[in-house]
Amino acid sequence: MTKRIALLTVAAIASAVAAPISRAQTPSGAQTLPDLSGVYYPVNAAGGGARAGGAPPAPQAPPKPLPAPTRTAPLSDGSRGRSPDAPVLTPEYMKKWEAMRDSRIAGSSDSDNTAKCLPPGMPAMMNMAYGMEIMQTKDKITFFSELNDALRRVYLDGRKPTPAILDDPTYAGYSTGHWEGDTLVVDTVSLRDNTYIEGFTPHSDQMTIRERIRFVSPGILEDRITVTDPKALVKPWETVKTYRKMTGPPEDQLREFACAEGIEHAR
Amino acid sequence: MKACTFVVLTMLAAAGSFHASLLAHHSNVGFAVETVNTATGVVKEWKWMNPHTWLIVDVDDGKGGSVEWAMEGRAPGVLLRAGWTRTVLKPGDKVTVHYSPSKDGSKVGMIARVTMADGRVLPNAPPAN
Repeated sequence: MTKRIALLTVAAIASAVAAPISRAQTPSGAQTLPDLSGVYYPVNAAGGGARAGGAPPAPQAPPKPLPAPTRTAPLSDGSRGRSPDAPVLTPEYMKKWEAMRDSRIAGSSDSDNTAKCLPPGMPAMMNMAYGMEIMQTKDKITFFSELNDALRRVYLDGRKPTPAILDDPTYAGYSTGHWEGDTLVVDTVSLRDNTYIEGFTPHSDQMTIRERIRFVSPGILEDRITVTDPKALVKPWETVKTYRKMTGPPEDQLREFACAEGIEHAR
Repeated sequence: MKACTFVVLTMLAAAGSFHASLLAHHSNVGFAVETVNTATGVVKEWKWMNPHTWLIVDVDDGKGGSVEWAMEGRAPGVLLRAGWTRTVLKPGDKVTVHYSPSKDGSKVGMIARVTMADGRVLPNAPPAN
């Protein structure tokens, strides 16, 4: 009997530490859930994204002279004002944005967390410009960002943020989720107020985020993000991110991003 | 001895200011990203490092001499997907660099594209998906 219990315990542990499942199930075991596991790149991303598939291209002589590039990166200093699609800020937070804009136009990186090797933070983290890896088990889904090796965990086992969690805000925040049919619904709280909603749009410590994540077609994952902040935003802000899943090597392998290497080198 | 000390101190000072400029320019906002200039020169060093790569180039000054520029590239992970490698550039290679200049006027640029002597082009990103 004792031996049998021991065997069952070993089996339970083995099952608990098994590789991420390919087909997730609800606790009742009745319904097969989507498996989000894999490496993704944003669709139509400027900059770091991968192509639709296949190996990265080897450098080759172009068939004819390429036109000279007209820019190196998207303009991100705010000198053209705010996009009509950007979050609508209250006057207090608009002043904060304007101060950062002036600093950025002058060339200062003070408002750029990732330039200091800090995590991109939610919800800007979900831009995933350098690629995203999702690791899924029944009780937890983990999102990894190659940019700054940033991580967030979404708990699916019914746990809720405790007062201690709410008193300890972080860059990624504290995320809990549940399935509504084929859609993963995620709520994120306990976020630091020194991250950005998008670009360098500031927010308060009262910001919360709801996401609805689902496959809209095979291999195409959508994240509908709603950001609520009664202090910083005039109204909740919604945005949609779309990612394409990679099908094989080398593009389904993210690279290490040891950000402090460069900072250390500079000292 | 005095002269020797002076040379060492000068070298240290130069190294210090160079590295400080690397740190100061790690964000896109340090560069005039919508201005793209062209420089030709010889690779002095290719630093395949996080968070950003650096291409140190002796740029032709048009008077028969050269001046050292530090060109900031994208992260190794991004460049791998765009077709670059850790060893794609070597000291002595002749290159043409399209770059955005630093807003503060220092000899630091951000790379838009590098063209090698044999015509191969190293872009900033893979073709758009």
